[in-house]
Amino acid sequence: MTIDFYWRLPTHGCHSSIRYGAYDRGDWSPLAAGNIAPGIDASGADDGFRYIDHLAEIARAAEGAGFTGGLIPSFPNTDDPWVISPLLARATRTFRFMIAFQPGFLNPVHAARLSASLQRATGGRTVFNIITGGGGPAQTWWGDSFSHDDRYGRTTEFLDVFKGVWTQKDFSYRGRFYEVEHGGLAPLLAHEDIPEIWFSGSSDAALQSAAKHADYYLSWLEPFDQLADKFARVKERTAALGGEQKCAVRVDLVARPTEEEAWRDIRIGFEHVGEERRRQGRGGPTDSVGAARQQALRPSEAKRYEDLIVAPNLWGGFNLLRGGPALGIVGSYEQCAARLDDLIARGANAFILAGTPHLEEAWRVGEEVLPLLGRNRDLLLAAAE
Amino acid sequence: MTVRIYWQLDVAQQPARGEIAARPAPTGIARDVRTRAITRYDHYAQIAQAAAQTAFDGLFIVHRPQSDDAAIVAAAIAREVPRIELVAEFPASAGSAVYAAKQAVTFQRATRERLGWAIAPSRPAVERAHDGDRVPNEALAARTEEFLTVARGVHGQHPYSFAGRFFEVENGGFDAPLNRVRFPRVFLQGESKEELALSARVADVHLFCATGFATLSRQIEALDMLALQARRSIGFGLIQPVLARDIDEEARRDAARAGLPEQAIVGDYAEVADRLAALARLGVDHFVLTGGSSLEESYVVGQHVLPRLRALLDASRAAA
Repeated sequence: MTIDFYWRLPTHGCHSSIRYGAYDRGDWSPLAAGNIAPGIDASGADDGFRYIDHLAEIARAAEGAGFTGGLIPSFPNTDDPWVISPLLARATRTFRFMIAFQPGFLNPVHAARLSASLQRATGGRTVFNIITGGGGPAQTWWGDSFSHDDRYGRTTEFLDVFKGVWTQKDFSYRGRFYEVEHGGLAPLLAHEDIPEIWFSGSSDAALQSAAKHADYYLSWLEPFDQLADKFARVKERTAALGGEQKCAVRVDLVARPTEEEAWRDIRIGFEHVGEERRRQGRGGPTDSVGAARQQALRPSEAKRYEDLIVAPNLWGGFNLLRGGPALGIVGSYEQCAARLDDLIARGANAFILAGTPHLEEAWRVGEEVLPLLGRNRDLLLAAAE
Repeated sequence: MTVRIYWQLDVAQQPARGEIAARPAPTGIARDVRTRAITRYDHYAQIAQAAAQTAFDGLFIVHRPQSDDAAIVAAAIAREVPRIELVAEFPASAGSAVYAAKQAVTFQRATRERLGWAIAPSRPAVERAHDGDRVPNEALAARTEEFLTVARGVHGQHPYSFAGRFFEVENGGFDAPLNRVRFPRVFLQGESKEELALSARVADVHLFCATGFATLSRQIEALDMLALQARRSIGFGLIQPVLARDIDEEARRDAARAGLPEQAIVGDYAEVADRLAALARLGVDHFVLTGGSSLEESYVVGQHVLPRLRALLDASRAAA
């Protein structure tokens, strides 16, 4: 069985180096010399490139380096994956667009029509990362005031309707959140495949919803044994509920020719973390169970980068260097591949990888790390014989 | 005011064109080298490119439930089609107003602010129930108004809060750099008094359906009055089918073949341009022109009618 490796499209700008915090790709920082997409041309004027042009470059790099596609995250101050995907549809050929979205924001019938149209525009390259957690002030920012468990109920109903109108000609539904009478996608659209669904969420309410509708259960990276337990529990719980769940994990990598070079980048990056970034790293109130787990690592209180090494090649301070989860893998190409092999042995069926800068690191990880995968397994098998 | 002229892309028109499944079975005579990489979207892109090359100001992409979604089509072709505005039509039941505004921002940022929004005309309750839209008929105008109010609110203000019947948001609104682009130009439609009043309050452009000269004149006057009362200025738009040919007789012949709507303007290039100019004198400042075969007709209209029309408009502006 082969494993899908996705990359990530950074939707909040990108850094040219993991060592320094500046968002010098995109317009999240002031336009200045050295910035790109937009940049400054020879006459000192805006050069006309937009951040989407850089995202197109990252998508093409991931495609060329052999990734299945890329996760396109969505937060209040990011660009939007539902628009990025069609904008880049015709600039890519095999890259799959994993759209992160909260079902509550779209009418499920309209979402089905959008999705089928995007399937037609891309030749079936649409994938969903359904997000339901979040909560707190961020949720009301989006205009959504439903409680945590209600949101999972709504996600389940959303997918009931989404799949119902796609697969049935005369579909009616009466739920708590949605009602449809005699719906159904037109044949032209219904002919397309329903996008693969990746689910996040660690709570019981999330797992119930996942068991019914998800193809993959997606987790942030956690300490390996903890993650193995979680995957085992998810597979067991969802099987008991009648679903079959493959598991996937999001991992940031700093992969370098030698381990020493990898840690040097981490050290320099850690030394450049400002107080502002530390404060953001502490995070705000959330009712996302996953986010709370990551906050418990408390990387923002660390004095030395070494304090955050939680296991060999496993560092817990990534959220200080860029937005997102805290844990990631640091090491030589061989070590990074071995750690990914470890995760596969612990139940990971797919990956979303990322590295900064996303463009160059897509090529590096695709060319240097992915080809080394499986060696660990081969060694283990050889030892067992 | 300058007159803006849009070409209509009807995604459901000529449904076989560009459709892989509709390709004829090989006859064994003509070799067919097309791969599956050539799709309907290439056809959409070609129509948009035609509109751009023949100097239309924009492309108006109609919402058709039986075919590709207009917003997906607009985004898919945007980066390869220069200059023109891309108006995507969608129903007001599409989802959250905040999320729609957020999506619009990304489109605007990526395309140098070329997005337009058209809210699709309201449909009967039975049809809307197919789409999970359970809002009663009498509340449709209120929903559209809230949708646009909230979308503009989060777009233009931070923090922005609103609690209405259909949408709510608390401490919303966009930060830099998302707050640096214009809100899309908003097109609304409808002939009822209530719909005109709604447009007067929240539309940038109200689109009328093609109709008789006298009726249109009355409608424009009524809307003008309502906009005045709302202390807003509004564009007067018209969705107008046209069929123009080199010779008038050929235009009539092709019109008979095509089964055009009664209100279509049919004639030689100069006559069609004359009649459009007369509508402009009546107050129409946004034309959405439609033609039976969208690609070929866009060239006919763009290359032969638009230059004549623009010359007439320039002349009347100079005279005024």
